[in-house]
Amino acid sequence: MSDYLDRFGRGQSMCHRWPPLAKLLSAIAMILAATCVPIAHPLIGIVACVIFFAHTLARIPLAYVARRLLFFWPPLFLMAISLPLSQSGQTGWLLFATILVRGTLSFSTALWLVNVMPFDQLLATLRRLRVPDVLLAILSLMYRFLFVLWDELDRMRTARAARLFRKPSLWATWRSAAHLLGRLLIRALDRADRIHGAMLARGWDGRSRWIEQPREDRP
Amino acid sequence: MHIQDGVLSPVVCAATGAIALGAVSYSVHRLKQSVGDRTIPLTGMMAALVFAGQMVNFPIGAPVSGHLLGGVLAATVVGPWAGCVAMTLVLFVQWAMFSDGGLFSLGANVLHMAVIGSWGGHAVRMFVQRFIGDSRKGIVIGSVVAAWASVMAAAALFCLEFRLSWPPSEIDFSKVFTLMVSFHSLIGLGEALITGVAISFVLNQRPELICRTDNPVRLKNRTDRIVRPTVASITSTLVAGLVVALAIAAFLSPFASSFDDGLETALSQIGITDFNLTGRVPGLLEDYDKVPVPVAAWQTLAVSIAGIGGTLAVFALAWLLGRALPAATQNLNSEATGE
Amino acid sequence: MTESQVTSESSAVRVERLSFRYPGGPDVLTDISFTIAPGEIIGLVGPSGAGKSTLLQHLNGLLPSQLPNFVGNVSNVPGQRLTDQVSGGHVGNVPHVVIDNLPVARQSIAEVRRRVGFLFQDPDDQLFCPTVFEDVAFGPLNLGLSEDEARQRVRDSLASVGLAGYEPRSTLRLSLGERKRVCLAGVFACQPGVLALDEPFSSLDPRARRTLIGILKKFPGSQIIATHDLDVVVDLCHRVLLLDAGQLRAAGPTADILGNAALMERHGLEVPWRLR
Repeated sequence: MSDYLDRFGRGQSMCHRWPPLAKLLSAIAMILAATCVPIAHPLIGIVACVIFFAHTLARIPLAYVARRLLFFWPPLFLMAISLPLSQSGQTGWLLFATILVRGTLSFSTALWLVNVMPFDQLLATLRRLRVPDVLLAILSLMYRFLFVLWDELDRMRTARAARLFRKPSLWATWRSAAHLLGRLLIRALDRADRIHGAMLARGWDGRSRWIEQPREDRP
Repeated sequence: MHIQDGVLSPVVCAATGAIALGAVSYSVHRLKQSVGDRTIPLTGMMAALVFAGQMVNFPIGAPVSGHLLGGVLAATVVGPWAGCVAMTLVLFVQWAMFSDGGLFSLGANVLHMAVIGSWGGHAVRMFVQRFIGDSRKGIVIGSVVAAWASVMAAAALFCLEFRLSWPPSEIDFSKVFTLMVSFHSLIGLGEALITGVAISFVLNQRPELICRTDNPVRLKNRTDRIVRPTVASITSTLVAGLVVALAIAAFLSPFASSFDDGLETALSQIGITDFNLTGRVPGLLEDYDKVPVPVAAWQTLAVSIAGIGGTLAVFALAWLLGRALPAATQNLNSEATGE
Repeated sequence: MTESQVTSESSAVRVERLSFRYPGGPDVLTDISFTIAPGEIIGLVGPSGAGKSTLLQHLNGLLPSQLPNFVGNVSNVPGQRLTDQVSGGHVGNVPHVVIDNLPVARQSIAEVRRRVGFLFQDPDDQLFCPTVFEDVAFGPLNLGLSEDEARQRVRDSLASVGLAGYEPRSTLRLSLGERKRVCLAGVFACQPGVLALDEPFSSLDPRARRTLIGILKKFPGSQIIATHDLDVVVDLCHRVLLLDAGQLRAAGPTADILGNAALMERHGLEVPWRLR
């Protein structure tokens, strides 16, 4: 799962080698531009070009971006289409276009950032930006155990599917899904207890301490 | 439920961001105060769980399926402060890993799902529990009602934000809001059902894992820590009242456009003529031909049905789930001690 | 190493009349007493549910509600005599666990945890940081070491488990054997005098298992290993404690206990191949 998620995050393109803070700031600047420039203005075209160019520089496959957009558009479309449908006149359509364009551009920018900035780099950057230690400690724990929980969920789902011989009713599906959730919750909390024990065993007292990782090339 | 960048105007994004920042900072502050050495692993795990739990599909129709939101579930297990922090981090990671939800609309999303979900949800549950008691039944009914109310409150807030984001005089918002409210009353039903069944499952299997009262930190294996109630009951009632009021407002929001006219007249009378929160560049939307505001009869009907039906369904659901549980009504510690 | 050499004065671990139950539950441990000499490796065997993990957790004070609260100031000075530390000059009849002359108590818990390294059964419970470096550095930093010392410890302990250069790796991308070794490096980085290992060999492939045995053999301090892998016990351990249903049923040199077919049979175990 983790390999799937930052497939391109471990790439070696020019964008990947930028300093992390520069990546974050340029992404924020691009999103700011995308959401503030009126779409009738020629500037929006330039913003779009810059974002597209950044994707090319980072060697993110277009097919991948297209696939992500395909899943991104429907909900946004539904949300936006309600505007022109409820109005007469052009205003609604203009707003519709505004929402779609802004949404698409900022989504693509975020997608670029996700793919050039591995999560641990983002964590280190946040630390440099003085985000409170408590939050970062929780965040890094969450990120670490996300994948463990996903694997657990996967195994539980497989086990459930293996015992499913015919299509259950809707209510039965919901019930078993909610029970799956409950079981995952119980396991997760038990694991939290064990992690807590493991942290205590190595001198944890509730305060997080951290030092910079030695600079080495990633394998 | 995620709001993407571009849906809300920059000014509204900034405002919701500031409010959310304040609320989350306060949660972190409270979390630090109550910090036992187990708070961090517990909160981190809860965040990971909500994230992973959102991957569990709840099929609705062939291609469409719903999933857990998790604010009330998180608050029920780890308390409102840790729940709020966990939900905030879930939303952040969803943006940082999947680019789900926007960066600038993160504030609004946090406000809707983390703050209303955890703070509001917890307050509503406490409020309900005050009448039914801290028994298992009380917890389940409380969390079902809380889950539903928190989604509706978030919907109302979203309508307000959306309304403030775009030039008011050009759009008839009532239809948009009708759609929004009907849609969210479905989401709310789903969230109530999922949260209720999951919590009653945990209560049956491992009752000691549920945070029953205002104490946010579970006390298993821990006798040396002084834990004081973290939500004064008055505050709790106030927050609960606010959330319920917002939930009710959701059903009124489609009629808000007629109210807007009144508001604008009032504002212009006291000298504020241009109440422009949209942050739009002048010249973008010049044609101010006023669209008449028809509050069609079908809207009234649709919203009323959605509202009344949804409310009834939630209470029926809460009652059924409560009935399904064994009638164990003893309190806290007597049953929490056994594994 | 024989029983008679192990006196209470020179013991690395001493457990006396330890009993334990979870609140409202049945007894998990009943009246357990034993000692471990410095440098000694002990195998803790017994059927599943015998209480092995619970016993190990006591050595590290991981069941906080059960910690005795000795009156007086229990000092953290290593090597200081127990009798000087506990008021009345004696722990007396109170059941207790003593690590290198330091009783496990509320006041001494930090030092106890520094002295006893604990390896958990599931490495995913113990590797809670995103990268190997952060994880191994976690212990040293909590001990209050300076940055440079911590870095040095990370390098040394990773080298001692044969994973030099693994610092920047993500903990998500390691094999099970590697994860166990990183956990062990994290434990070594605190420089404990005693290792408590809970099922260290479970679900390892033969090569990873052999590597781990090699690493444990080089560790200079005492070790107590709870395991079902009796062949490793024969290979590694000086003495064996046999635990069943929360009671210590037998203790003695490895070959005597594990070679006793009747005894093994009675407690649901089998004589390992190497001793047949």
